Amino acid sequence: MSNSAENNTFEFILDGKTVQAKAGETVLEVARREGITIPSLCFNGKVSHTTSCFVCVVKDCKTGKFLPSCAARPAPGQAIDASSDEVKSMRKTALELLLSEHSGDCEAPCTMACPAHAAVEEYVRAGREGDWLKALKIIKERIPLPMSIGRVCPRFCEKECRKNLYGKAVSINDFKRLAADLYYREYVEELPEDTGKKVAIVGAGPAGLSAAYYLRLNGVKVKLFDQMPQAGGMIRYGIPEYRLPKNDILDVELDHFRKLGVEFEFNAKLGENLDLDKLSAEYDAVGIAVGCWNSSTIRCNGEELATPGIDFLRDNILSGCKLANPGKTIVIGGGNTAMDCVRTAVRLGAEDVSCFYRRTENEMPAEKIEIHEAKEEGVKFEFLIAPTNLRRENGKLILTCQRMVLGEPDASGRRRPVPQPGSEFDTVADTVIAAVGQNTVMPDGIKVNKYGYAEVTAGGKVEGKIFSAGDCVSGAATVVEAVAGGRIMALGMVAMFEGKELTEPYTINVSRGSWRSMSTDDVVKIHDQVSDAERAALPLISLQERKSTFKEVAGTMDPATLQAEGKRCIECSCTDKLDCRLKKSAELCGACVDSICGRKNAKRIDIRHPQIVQDTGKCIKCGICVKTCKELIGKTLLSAQNRGFQTTVSTAFNAGLPTSCAECGACIDACPTGALDWKDKNRRKK
Amino acid sequence: MINSNIAEIRLGTASCGIASGAGAVLEKMQAMEPDFKITEVGCVGCCYAEPLAEVITKDGQSIFYGNLTADEKCLANIFNLSEAGRFSEPEQRSSKMLPRVLKLAGRIDPISLEAYRKAGGYHALGKAQEMAPEAIVNAVKESGLRGRGGGGFSTGMKWSFLAAKNSPEKIIICNADEGDPGAFMDRSLMESVPHQVLEGMLIAAAATGATKLFIYCRAEYPMAIRNLKIAIAQINENKLNVIKGRTIEIIIKEGAGAFVCGEETALIASLEGKRGTPRFRPPFPTDSGYHQLPTMINNVETFGNIPLIIDEGAAAYASIGTENSKGTKIFALAGDLKYPGLAEVPMGITLREIVFDIGGADPENVKAVQTGGPSGGCIPVELFDTPIDYDSLRSLGAIMGSGGLIVIGKNRCMVETARYFLDFTRRESCGKCTFCRVGTTRMFETLERITKGEGKPEDIDFLETLGNQVRKGSLCGLGQTAPNPVLATLRYFKNEYLDHVEKRTCTALECNALVKVKLDQSKCVKCKLCIKSCPVGAISSDFVIDADKCTRCNSCIELCPKKAISRYPNE
Repeated sequence: MSNSAENNTFEFILDGKTVQAKAGETVLEVARREGITIPSLCFNGKVSHTTSCFVCVVKDCKTGKFLPSCAARPAPGQAIDASSDEVKSMRKTALELLLSEHSGDCEAPCTMACPAHAAVEEYVRAGREGDWLKALKIIKERIPLPMSIGRVCPRFCEKECRKNLYGKAVSINDFKRLAADLYYREYVEELPEDTGKKVAIVGAGPAGLSAAYYLRLNGVKVKLFDQMPQAGGMIRYGIPEYRLPKNDILDVELDHFRKLGVEFEFNAKLGENLDLDKLSAEYDAVGIAVGCWNSSTIRCNGEELATPGIDFLRDNILSGCKLANPGKTIVIGGGNTAMDCVRTAVRLGAEDVSCFYRRTENEMPAEKIEIHEAKEEGVKFEFLIAPTNLRRENGKLILTCQRMVLGEPDASGRRRPVPQPGSEFDTVADTVIAAVGQNTVMPDGIKVNKYGYAEVTAGGKVEGKIFSAGDCVSGAATVVEAVAGGRIMALGMVAMFEGKELTEPYTINVSRGSWRSMSTDDVVKIHDQVSDAERAALPLISLQERKSTFKEVAGTMDPATLQAEGKRCIECSCTDKLDCRLKKSAELCGACVDSICGRKNAKRIDIRHPQIVQDTGKCIKCGICVKTCKELIGKTLLSAQNRGFQTTVSTAFNAGLPTSCAECGACIDACPTGALDWKDKNRRKK
Repeated sequence: MINSNIAEIRLGTASCGIASGAGAVLEKMQAMEPDFKITEVGCVGCCYAEPLAEVITKDGQSIFYGNLTADEKCLANIFNLSEAGRFSEPEQRSSKMLPRVLKLAGRIDPISLEAYRKAGGYHALGKAQEMAPEAIVNAVKESGLRGRGGGGFSTGMKWSFLAAKNSPEKIIICNADEGDPGAFMDRSLMESVPHQVLEGMLIAAAATGATKLFIYCRAEYPMAIRNLKIAIAQINENKLNVIKGRTIEIIIKEGAGAFVCGEETALIASLEGKRGTPRFRPPFPTDSGYHQLPTMINNVETFGNIPLIIDEGAAAYASIGTENSKGTKIFALAGDLKYPGLAEVPMGITLREIVFDIGGADPENVKAVQTGGPSGGCIPVELFDTPIDYDSLRSLGAIMGSGGLIVIGKNRCMVETARYFLDFTRRESCGKCTFCRVGTTRMFETLERITKGEGKPEDIDFLETLGNQVRKGSLCGLGQTAPNPVLATLRYFKNEYLDHVEKRTCTALECNALVKVKLDQSKCVKCKLCIKSCPVGAISSDFVIDADKCTRCNSCIELCPKKAISRYPNE
């Protein structure tokens, strides 16, 4: 041991390695200098240590004792273990204990619900503040087709919006639509330098387009191949014109992709005039995003006499919405495609249009709004019937159906329809459309799972250079899900180009729970000016126009309406979500939110101060705020109260923080979580 | 009409005596014999016989009268020196005890300096005044005395650390924040022989050069505080606090009843007027304590031992005890035994002797003993032959602690016992460290679930893992020992946990959720006492107990004259 007296340094052993320490240095300081990561919540070096969180523990190898490294000073020759599994397990438990008493929402439920994980609260806020370009930029970080998705998204976000507790959700999707309608044409992303890599993607639908977008943003050249004469896939050929206008909306979006340098080749089909091996040889990666274009069987005799739903929709688009009047039409199925078919049939002039579904309306997978609008347009619904036979007689179709009753729930959780013997009856129709779902036909040479969909690992990788995303991976799903999958595939390809594998970083999300299990008392508001107004109504064209033309049914809301609508947002997410050290440490140490459960302290949120919010449910009781106020500022505005599990930090007599605290904020900067924070979410901790 | 052979009558009027009615007894006795002066004394340690009077006859005999009531007939026995009402300690009990520290407790008037001096008090201080400070420290070192507050650190070493400090001011604190429920030897010492504790402190001042002495006493001990205050006034008046020419100030600080303030750094914070939370050591208090001054903290009983060591010499003191634990230890006995109270015994005595001979517990009905209070651990009856000292108790997963000793009968559920003790410690956590604050709460919730019959098999591993982590990941003794009752019961009585979790039964029939109350019709005499006593109307007119209504309050079981009603395991 060489202890040098003149510079006051000595040696000790850290993780088996001899290291130098200066007199007075803590283990944490030495470890950080040596590049050993030790998380710490309750110590920032500015105030005396509190040794409260025990997240920074290390082990004294000789005594077996665990020491908080923020306070423990090494002794010459002492052996300290900062990285063994035992030490890491202690840190993980400390964090899991802290998480078990932590109440809050790291991320807002809307953002968590979005399949693309778009920063919903943030773009709604930007819109509310009138900065629609900023809103668009936030949206496009995850959703590169906001004009389309702003029209056709089933709004996963709104289903989880806590405003549902008070009536109706914030009209979130309309923010996307307006931001895109206002700025999509003029805002073009700056692209980085080309990396020299190029990618071929088969399928120019939402998944392929999304992948192309994020590849371009990463400097990768992209060429999209599609079997159809135009790009868009299902959003062009599946979604009817009245929901998504092709010339005014979709083509505008597609122009943007050309501006970004994405190339297209049409009428190109794998196995016909496109060869997978050739693509693999020519390109650095190949993405398969061929979607689900094969209609599922309705399992009845004569089903070949029925028109497959997506064929009907596609043919209508190809004809320029000028298909012949289908006459008396029966659509079999209860999903969104079935709704698209019935409403298209109405617009083509059919006077008698029915939807036959084998369960009841409650079980229908179609969006409620679609069902509602179809009814408005005169579509009749027949529930609990299933087809058993279809035949043609005298130029008419005769559909034989059977009555059903609901039995036990099946694997999907929906009650299984059970046929009623002897309940058969016949119905006459001119057109029968089968819209009971779609599946994929994977090109040869792609590894598939037992359901026939592409089998992918992290980053959408199938094998070698082949990647896949979209409906042909997930089965028929929504546009936003396809877009999310396309992005992951792009990132997977980029990672491969960099010689890495795309690993999803471990993240945690603390949640106060779904609004369905909450009362309004459980909702935490950081502002008291959340608007109680009714949800803004969607502007619709007249019913007459809806029934007779393919004009877009819903309009774009105006900025003033949506800015007012944005004030309804509760802003559920944590003020400190970008900086929270509890979250970061938990993610670093692999701590889980719910591996230790138990009761939490009664929440007490103090929003009396105009700029500062104090949320005791997020407090880890480290006392660093108390010490900061006392030791750095020379005041004693905060102090710990109560004991044990009931410990809280509070102001004297719970009188609240004085307004002058807005000029200081030292306690806020010191707080490792969002327990003390600025209300303004644009303001970060220093 | 007092028996002429009576020289003195002593009545125990310490808190324990008062609680059993000694106040009324004293009033009555004085009313009966206004001209005779009754000597109020402290406690002799026989809680089970309070109120207790001792008559000293003119020929030097000592005769006890126990379980007194404020009743003329009962008290006349004393004045008449009659045979009736006499009380004597069972032979097997008294033969095992060795009252040395407690020798004067209950034998002299606690607030009489004169009485204390007459009994040999302040002789040791006089001796210490003549000794070199190093010689006193060495005597304490050589005596082998270890801290009686629970830690068991060498007292002499502690003294030597403070003595070595070169500081114009040095502090000694007497830790009188006796927080363990069931431990009351410190209270008894302060109430019964306050001068003995103060003498020990003054000797410590002489040995270490301390300039100020604090007694940090919980405010729930008003009589101890009163007696100490009187004793301090007497000391000041008689200049007993002038040590080698220096006048030492003695200050009583009343604590507000936080268990954690028995931990030395938390105690110092509290003494400074701050929130009572422990801090990381080093620096140790002897380096930087009360207001950064060198500070040494000893417990009441530790100080109570000091005059003995100085008086008789280190070698004589060290002749009692085991290899590494010298002298005697005062245990506070409670729980399922016949003779609760204080027992001073030599170190190295076995638990069997304490529990059965001294405590008088029924050997047929003892399952275990909990030592060290709520932060200690249980020791099963199979291990009762272990000679007890600091180290043997620790190796069994329990601790000496401050000397609380609770006997656990066979009708107690060990899971419920662990839950009960943990409920205390988790409430008393100061809330600073994550493991203690949240960890003990989560452990408690798990135990609560198990006793309610809602335990899951993985709960047992969870308790074991988290318990060990709480032990390792807490700053102070509170958190480090809080899991002990859980870990010790898991070590010795895991089968009871498994019964709760896997079979949903409580073999001790204590956990209400796992027990049914049933009436045996064949024994029933239809007296209807049970029906009348049931607070929830769970017993029908044909004497059937509705399990859904029944709250398992036991009132019918206790009232039934034919013992026809019992608790049964849930089937």
